[in-house]
Amino acid sequence: MAKDITLTRRKPSKKTINEWKWAYALIAPTIIGLIVLNIIPILQTLYLSFFKSGDFGKGNIFVGFSNYKKMFTDIQVWHAVGNTLKYTIIVVPVTVIIAMILAVLLNSKIKGKGVYRTIYFIPMIAAPAAITMVWKWLYNNQFGLINYMLSKIGINAVNWIDNPKVALYSVAIIGIWSTVGYSMVLLIAGLQEIPKDYYEASNIDGASPVKQFFNITIPLVSPTLFFVMVTSIIQAMQVFDVIYMMIDVTSPSYDKTVSLVYLFYNSSFKYSDKGYGSAIVMLLLAIIMIITVIQMKAQKKWVNYM
Amino acid sequence: MKKRIVSLLLASMMAVTGLVGCGNSNTVATSGQDTSKASSGGDVHITYALWDSNQEKGIRKMADEFESKNTGIKIDLQVVGWADYWTMLEAAGTGGSLPDTFWMHSNEIYKYASNNMLMDLTDKINKSNEVKLSNYPEGLVKIYNQNNKQYAVPKDYDTIGLWYNKTMFDKAGLSYPDETWTWDKLYDVTKKLTTGDGKQYGFLAPLHNQEGYYNFVYQNGGTIITDKKESGYDNPKTIEAMKYYTKFVSDGLSPKIFDDAARAQAMQNGLCAMGLFGSWNLSGFASNDYMAKNFNVAVLPSANDGKRATIFNGLGNAISAKTKHPEEAWKWVQYLSSKEGQTKQAELGVAISAYNGTADAWVASNKTFNIKCFIDMVKYAQIRPYSNTTAKWEDKAYELLKGSFTGEKPVEDACKETAKMMNEVLKQEK
Repeated sequence: MAKDITLTRRKPSKKTINEWKWAYALIAPTIIGLIVLNIIPILQTLYLSFFKSGDFGKGNIFVGFSNYKKMFTDIQVWHAVGNTLKYTIIVVPVTVIIAMILAVLLNSKIKGKGVYRTIYFIPMIAAPAAITMVWKWLYNNQFGLINYMLSKIGINAVNWIDNPKVALYSVAIIGIWSTVGYSMVLLIAGLQEIPKDYYEASNIDGASPVKQFFNITIPLVSPTLFFVMVTSIIQAMQVFDVIYMMIDVTSPSYDKTVSLVYLFYNSSFKYSDKGYGSAIVMLLLAIIMIITVIQMKAQKKWVNYM
Repeated sequence: MKKRIVSLLLASMMAVTGLVGCGNSNTVATSGQDTSKASSGGDVHITYALWDSNQEKGIRKMADEFESKNTGIKIDLQVVGWADYWTMLEAAGTGGSLPDTFWMHSNEIYKYASNNMLMDLTDKINKSNEVKLSNYPEGLVKIYNQNNKQYAVPKDYDTIGLWYNKTMFDKAGLSYPDETWTWDKLYDVTKKLTTGDGKQYGFLAPLHNQEGYYNFVYQNGGTIITDKKESGYDNPKTIEAMKYYTKFVSDGLSPKIFDDAARAQAMQNGLCAMGLFGSWNLSGFASNDYMAKNFNVAVLPSANDGKRATIFNGLGNAISAKTKHPEEAWKWVQYLSSKEGQTKQAELGVAISAYNGTADAWVASNKTFNIKCFIDMVKYAQIRPYSNTTAKWEDKAYELLKGSFTGEKPVEDACKETAKMMNEVLKQEK
């Protein structure tokens, strides 16, 4: 890539200019989409975070950094940062490991592959709100199916939703359950790009399947694995709907489960303080950016591009 | 090459998620604009937004009747649940596309009226033969009046009653709750009805204001908000009532319930023998077989010194300031507020109509429960506490009071913290 630029810098020929025009025309839909739907809202959010917002978007008052000052002294914001990170740390590794195992199994020659792939992918298509409603019933303290089954094997009822020590794990279980299928499909696609020759050659050399997995599969699927990790972390950091549907402000586990996006939603729409909500979102953006930059740097150590 | 595919995938992912988000907000923003499109067909469509799906069926019947009398006007109902209703309405207000007519609540009226979102109905009411404000309870009219301008007409009102499980009382050989009951009696009976093994509790004391501790606070002579717009949570009488109320939970006589929907489930599953629920639950409870068979309702018990109170609130019908069809919208609201419309609403059992003298029609609409008690309580009913920014302090109060229900925090501390937070919010009100 870098070479191309230095070459063309001399004097682009008519043909290259023409090619550039086409290139811009072809990426225009994506770029326009990104600018209108992502970049502009991000800038507007940044702008709004310096204001005390009035009702119905009228009468915003400029307050400088006071939303940020308030945010850094607000214990609840730090609770939310902790909860969001904790949720990500629980959900992402478990999801990726399970997805990887499933992908390898479903990429091998077993009967009914298609059926299994579909089954694992179904939670991804279902609406998160609907999923959470069903899980909420399963988790129900008095009448839930899970506690009923636990009581059959002599385990005391667990208060899945209202116990502050348990609630985040209950939310994480739903998160893992609903994203495993998606990561798995991506990983299967990555696995199918690995040429069969490598396995055949290692078979002749007498490598065991476990050795093959760690020395061939993992390195060669690492670009896809990297992509899955980056997107899962971003997705996990933005967790909202499951917590919103399951844990109300009145719940005792609210402080231990409230995520940054949930806090943003409450500030912006419930207490109609959009300026403060925007400041919280900017904090989330900063955290996600830092994590992503670290991952981009770290990938050089372990990701193999063929 | 691979790297480029990865970044392309990333970019397209972002674009897709952005699109999804956009799609959602679009549906909200345009919901009010359906009227202009549809009106090209000849009929004028008036949208009417409400949050209680239990009332939808009855209101549809009223709308049908209105349509048959006013040819050329069609009423489109939009039902959105309570929590999302205000998010939807605010987004619609910001985008300038509010529904033509919609329900208003004491918590939000100030915000909408002071930002010129609502049509001033004063002139229309003065000219109308069918709507006279003197026909509605004064307290309700006042909620929707700002600077001598009337922004909504009272639609209905509600009070809170003590629902009890007759079967559980019969089994224990106890007499049903009645107007002689006091706090002590309630506590004693609750104790007798609690089995202690977690299968049956005598009373349900949830973390809920209107259908919970607000009633006890006012029975005890305490207050939530004073006339001078200061918090009443640090009032000793308020704290005393909160102590009495949370005692049910700390003594194990009530399950610890924090979720809104779980409250009714606890009654419907036979977990609690008694509980406080508002009159608006009527149709929901009547359609539940277990509750229709086993439950009845009585007036709230009085404080030990005999003081009575129940929380009283009422909705209003408002018109958007920017409606394209002000005349037709007013015709609809006028019908809803007229004696005819209000009587119809009562007969259909939709809600207790606000129009004076229509209460009997509502009482007659349901034979399953003794709902007359809701009307009996009106004479000592207390308007649900509100200020210009009720929504802000009400939910934050839940966050702070929670500790006293879980037993992590002494009631007195929780109340004082709530008072402090509330006073700060109240100070910022314009």
